[in-house]
Amino acid sequence: MFCYQCEQTQRSANGDGCSSAKGNCGKDAVTSDLQDLLVHAAKGIAQYAARARALGAPDNEAGGFVLYALFTTLTNVNFNATRFVTLLQQAAQVRDRVKARYEEAARAQGLTPETLTGAADWQPAADMDGLLMQATEVGIKAGLEQVGEDIVGLRSLILYGLKGVCAYAHHAHVLGGESDAVYAGVESALDFLATNPADMNALLERAMALGQLNLQVMEMLDGANTGTFGAPEPSAVRVTPVKGKAILVSGHDLKDLVNLLEQTKDTGINIYTHGEMLPAHGYPKLKAYPHLAGNYGGAWQDQQTEFADFPGAILMTSNCIIEPRPQYRQRIFTAGPVGWPGVRHIADGNFAPVIEAAKALPGFKEDVAEKTITVGFGHDAVLGVADKVIDAVKAGAIRHFFLIGGCDGAAPGRNYYTEFAEKAPQDSVILTLGCNKYRFNQHDFGDIGGIPRLLDIGQCNDSYSAIKIATALAGAFECGVNDLPLSLIVSWFEQKAAAVLLTLLSLGIRNIRLGPTLPAFLTPALVQALVDQFGLQPITDAQSDIDAALMRQAA
Amino acid sequence: MTAYPIELTTRDGEQIRFDCAEDQNLIDAAAAVDIILPSQCKQGGCGACHAHATAGDYLLGEHSPDALPKDGGHGSLLMCRTYPRSALSIAAPFDHNRVLFQAIPRREAEIAELAAIGENTVRLVLQLLPDADDSRAAQFEPGQFMELELPGGDLKRAYSLANNGNWEGRLEFLIRLQPNGRFSTFLKEQAKTGDKLMVRGPQGAFGLEETGLRPRWFVAGGTGLAPMLSMLRRMAEWQEPHEARLFFGVNREEELFALDELEELKAALPQLRVEICVWKPGDAWQGYAGTPVDALRRDLAEAKTTPDIYLCGPPALIDFAETAARELGVGEEQIFSERFLPS
Repeated sequence: MFCYQCEQTQRSANGDGCSSAKGNCGKDAVTSDLQDLLVHAAKGIAQYAARARALGAPDNEAGGFVLYALFTTLTNVNFNATRFVTLLQQAAQVRDRVKARYEEAARAQGLTPETLTGAADWQPAADMDGLLMQATEVGIKAGLEQVGEDIVGLRSLILYGLKGVCAYAHHAHVLGGESDAVYAGVESALDFLATNPADMNALLERAMALGQLNLQVMEMLDGANTGTFGAPEPSAVRVTPVKGKAILVSGHDLKDLVNLLEQTKDTGINIYTHGEMLPAHGYPKLKAYPHLAGNYGGAWQDQQTEFADFPGAILMTSNCIIEPRPQYRQRIFTAGPVGWPGVRHIADGNFAPVIEAAKALPGFKEDVAEKTITVGFGHDAVLGVADKVIDAVKAGAIRHFFLIGGCDGAAPGRNYYTEFAEKAPQDSVILTLGCNKYRFNQHDFGDIGGIPRLLDIGQCNDSYSAIKIATALAGAFECGVNDLPLSLIVSWFEQKAAAVLLTLLSLGIRNIRLGPTLPAFLTPALVQALVDQFGLQPITDAQSDIDAALMRQAA
Repeated sequence: MTAYPIELTTRDGEQIRFDCAEDQNLIDAAAAVDIILPSQCKQGGCGACHAHATAGDYLLGEHSPDALPKDGGHGSLLMCRTYPRSALSIAAPFDHNRVLFQAIPRREAEIAELAAIGENTVRLVLQLLPDADDSRAAQFEPGQFMELELPGGDLKRAYSLANNGNWEGRLEFLIRLQPNGRFSTFLKEQAKTGDKLMVRGPQGAFGLEETGLRPRWFVAGGTGLAPMLSMLRRMAEWQEPHEARLFFGVNREEELFALDELEELKAALPQLRVEICVWKPGDAWQGYAGTPVDALRRDLAEAKTTPDIYLCGPPALIDFAETAARELGVGEEQIFSERFLPS
């Protein structure tokens, strides 16, 4: 295996990347190699799908498969080698269907179909050993000796960003959000990667185009979420348990959550959110369920201890799963793209086994004194009080906005974000999204003239809200986003964050602070290019970065 | 007493460290700091704690020669009978997730069913009683075992579970009655529905490997069928797509049992092929005459893809089957076994 797609990748003097029998995320070499092969297979589908679409014969069903397939290859999503063998077989079938569709469309228009090679011509080996042999040819570092680290790094940036795009698009897709343009964009990006591009400028251009594609996807996802569940509104969420049987829902998939809420109505079972599911409490149609009892625990990296202590069933709806401990292995279930070998997977949205488990398990024996936090500051809620915010800025009551958002993780150095939030001056407002907020969201930040100093925008899936708020403020102040008293302090962990970063860069947003480390796939030359072009900066220490942000504003 | 550092590396590359005194065995030393390593009899008799020393010196205490593979190679040891004489590095044949970092649960159960199912074989079904949290749930992995303890606590025996984890709290065992065996005598002469006993578990690292769609072949001798039933029932319940074969062997037809269950399994798991093997059949026997190792050897010779092979039964069956599998090209990492010894 070789993988360096996430922040926890193995770092060493001999080069960065997980390359032993098991990655730091827990992904074993077999699964990693099969994931590489699935990416290759997806390129093959896209090669034909892009050409078919150009001839007016799009195949959005294949598009949906590609979104799902790439989502399964994100960090901390699917660790089940068996699932990947099945997905590879399905991928070949999808590719053959799309190929036939393309050839038929070409002939119908009097054209001779292209004969494609490479990924488009891939045939899955008959057995596991054969598949693993095939995988050795298509890993992320294939062609390194010919093109060098910088080109491989840029290809990786695009691939990993694309994985994030696909994950977000899949989230929209399950709620009925679809777009021909998005499918076309994904197919085009994969088709591009299938050519093993080696032109630096073309790669950079493609990376920015991917950022723009992600903006469309995020808008589509925002529309799917708010269209289905209503616009988030500020809501108090209980973070202490109540007595009774319980199910914990983690991940990002709001459709799985609503299905579970429906299926547990009147059973007496309380539903708790975990990790990135916390913002669900802000949606009117979700919080209307009285048994959506509260939030339990913190960010994903704490799940092994928190899940072990949770006295009910656990449902993992999307990333980020880590190896289930024996203490809860029998009572954790996966859904959607998630998988772990030996853990029961629910593919059809029927959560009866989860409910059965919850009924048999003890649940919480006692109420714990109520404690709440507030969520639900999506773009509608924030922009609904925009006049008040703008007045506060003009009056000098609000000096600066800090967006401290992104993923959390277990790596040392992430206490930077806690310190940053706590040290942010009293006349600043902190916007946050993603699970990084668990580092500080139970801290009492107070308010500025009735405007809470901490505004929780939502999941990382809600990044569109942050962009919409920033651009609306820029409009109100008649300036560019870069001229706003706004600093972006982004913590990244995996590929969804890579997609959002590309979006921010493609919008021309400068001076983003990125941490806790820079991606291993960005070579020194690539980092320099991003610094030169976008002012991208690694984080230093919290106080220095706060001072620098305020100084730049003052200047 | 000198204590030495022990570094145990699990199959998936995780490291577990603890100290062990010269007069302590590795299993007990780890348990003293709440690291519960897979083991069973703890008397050097069953082979459940087989591992390899990769560095360091140790004394291997008294043990059954059947508990170690005949060709286990240098450093082959039983952790329950290993006493360090220097710092030790141990390579374990199980993954980190099979190590429990808390005390093994001990629950009260009552006999729900006890029935003869073949010559000298009984099915014992226990119903877990509500625990301190008012839960009856039976949570275990297919292939694991429970230690059964009679009231008084001086008689304990370990048996593999034949069913799957469930929320009703049912534990099913297939038990071979041993002549003059104390637990067997209890089952044969005293035990009745409603009797209480204690169960300690789940324990053990034997279980399904989840490394892809490689075929899964199961070789069972006698009540070695129990963990195989559990694994196959899991496959059926989850509708896992792997090609599967079961070679189930006994000495004489009269010893056969669980044939109805196997028919049910075949219906629920259409890709399952079952070969019932009778070593010394009577004239009327129309099935396979020979040992499950003979049948395994025959089918392996014709297999296009080498399967993962799961073995459970008496030590001789395990040794012969392992030898046959290796000779026919099955990699060491594809062979998983659990030895049954009379107790």
